[in-house]
Amino acid sequence: MSNELIQIETPFQFSEENQRKFDKLIQRYPVKEAAMLPTLHLAQKQAGYISPAVMEHVAELLELPVMKVKDVVTFYPMFFEEPVGKYVIRVCYTLPCALRDCKLVLEHIKEKFNIDVASETDLAKGTTPDGKFTLLKSECLASCDVAPVVMVNDDLYKNLTPEKMEEILDGLE
Amino acid sequence: MAFIKLNDLEVEVEDGTNIIEAARQHDIEVPHYCYHPGLTRPANCRMCLVEPHVFFPPAGKVVPDRQLATGCTTTVRTAPPDRKLDGKYDFIVRTDTPRVKKAREDILEFLLVHHPLDCPVCDQAGECDLQDFSYNHGSGKSRYLEVKNVPPKKDLGPDVLLYSTRCIVCTRCIRFCDEVAGTGELGLIHRGSHDEIDIPRDHDENPLRLLDNKLAGNVVDICPVGALISKDFLFKSRPWFMKQVNSVCPGCSVGCNITVDYKEDGLYRIKPRFHEDINQHWMCDDGRLGYHYVNSEDRLQIPMKRVDGELVPTSWADALNLIVEKFSETDPESIAVIGSAQGTNEENYLLGKLAREVLKTESIGLFGREPGEEHKFPQFTIDADKNPNTRGARDMLKLGEDASLTGEALWNGIANVKVAYLVNGAPERPLDEGAKQVLEAVDFLVVQDIFESDVAQLADVVLPGVTFAEKDGSFTNAKGWVQRIHRAVDPPGEARVDWEIIQQLAKRLGGEMDYHFAGEIALEIAENVPDYQDATHQNIGAGGVNIERG
Repeated sequence: MSNELIQIETPFQFSEENQRKFDKLIQRYPVKEAAMLPTLHLAQKQAGYISPAVMEHVAELLELPVMKVKDVVTFYPMFFEEPVGKYVIRVCYTLPCALRDCKLVLEHIKEKFNIDVASETDLAKGTTPDGKFTLLKSECLASCDVAPVVMVNDDLYKNLTPEKMEEILDGLE
Repeated sequence: MAFIKLNDLEVEVEDGTNIIEAARQHDIEVPHYCYHPGLTRPANCRMCLVEPHVFFPPAGKVVPDRQLATGCTTTVRTAPPDRKLDGKYDFIVRTDTPRVKKAREDILEFLLVHHPLDCPVCDQAGECDLQDFSYNHGSGKSRYLEVKNVPPKKDLGPDVLLYSTRCIVCTRCIRFCDEVAGTGELGLIHRGSHDEIDIPRDHDENPLRLLDNKLAGNVVDICPVGALISKDFLFKSRPWFMKQVNSVCPGCSVGCNITVDYKEDGLYRIKPRFHEDINQHWMCDDGRLGYHYVNSEDRLQIPMKRVDGELVPTSWADALNLIVEKFSETDPESIAVIGSAQGTNEENYLLGKLAREVLKTESIGLFGREPGEEHKFPQFTIDADKNPNTRGARDMLKLGEDASLTGEALWNGIANVKVAYLVNGAPERPLDEGAKQVLEAVDFLVVQDIFESDVAQLADVVLPGVTFAEKDGSFTNAKGWVQRIHRAVDPPGEARVDWEIIQQLAKRLGGEMDYHFAGEIALEIAENVPDYQDATHQNIGAGGVNIERG
């Protein structure tokens, strides 16, 4: 662990459209710090993951020390600190899905792409080398009535079997 | 004032006091970690649980409340007459019931779940709240059999290390950086039992910021366990092997109250001491880490005189005789005496007396460190005047605001004197060419100093004085607080306490001075110097006396 400060070579900036969105959403909150989560989501959507440059920019926008941003980013598993695949596959691994054999779905995906399950601290081991898919286990996705479920980016897929999963994955660009 | 029942005591406490402080005022310990009187109260450690009592209508009497409450956030207020408990109490609370004791024991078991119990190699051992409270309130056994978390040791900044394994995540350090320093370098990463204190880093653990603000050292003091450790003190000494003495930081004119930890071979560390009106609980790193010069091997240890252009060691008797000879044969108008803003009130008072009553000169000046930078934090200020006693020295030497022999004007003022006696104490101060020429032109220059400084290099006689840690006396800070410094260690070699050197000179010149300790001089100061009537050593005590309050 070195004690040398890292230099950010390419600073992050919101695109014009996202800047407009940010300007609008910041007005909804009584204090700027409260806009942290939506701002981070917006930034992650644009940049793919929360790099130090993103953290610096968000801290600047919200007039906070950068540690306050880092604090939130590491707290929530929805924010990534390293690059992830184009499609983030979250296999629900809580009890009802487990009873309905989510394990088979997970194992199928692992075998299909020959990857491991990513952890919060090591996303690379769960990402395909072409950077298309990242596989994550997830806590309850709140759809136990249609278990097992998988979320791919923002879309939920229900009543899954390995065969259905195969079909869905093949349909993704 | 609220009238409360605290265990079996009936006591009065001020409205708004929390239970921890109320209990502390009456020597009852309520163990706590996250609560610190100088910071906000998140009540996250749950260690300070106490049992409040409430009126229970169905039973028609006062009973213990259903839930325990945190002593840090439970404050006492005067109740309206119809809401008094048992007809007279504003509040009833117990800190010693079996329920409270069980709660403490359970909390401690949780706090120790991931703790490595590495006290034998931990710097904090001996002054550790986790150790003390575990011993006093813990169970002595753990039921946790699983694998402990082992988060890494981290380098947070120039002087602070974090042993994450020992951390109990009380967040005192985070709140200090947010509230007192206003710099916000510290935060919590991850969640739950994986919580770690850290500075912002990228994914490869390289830092984006360092904990390098000028108040950073305070996080080490307020850490209740051995997680935050000062690199300066790391593995230097066990706390119980050091002696401790109260003093005042000589780093600037704020005059932070400090304790000096020392052993026979020198100073080991400096820690802030609470003073409500001056530094609260804090001090800056310049003061905290600035003590090393005291232990230096390069300190002046024997008097020196100039022979054939070279400074050579000599005896005290010889050095003093030489000075007395020169003083005696010189016209008083050609003698200048220059005191030091680094020196104590007592020294400067004697110096003024030597000049006016013995040498009969009015050419009195003041020397000291050059002004530095002022640093302002939300709850702390580091002064630009880097001398601890500028105000006191001016008062003692009777120098008004417009005195000519101070600051840059000093050099013009002594341009024509033949003999000058300069007490330095600011050895790191460099001299510019103009000042050097002035001092070189002085026929006979006596310098009293602690190092071979630029000034001492030009002297004809050099007398070894001492630092703040080797003498008794008092400093007056910029706001008029007169405070005591106490001798911790012995002067190196043949160096002597400054006021004793001045007295020796005065005696040899036929002056009437016969003091045996610094407190005697302070008594005379109280009689003779305006506003200092209360500033005797007996009165000053640990808290100081303010001369502005009269």
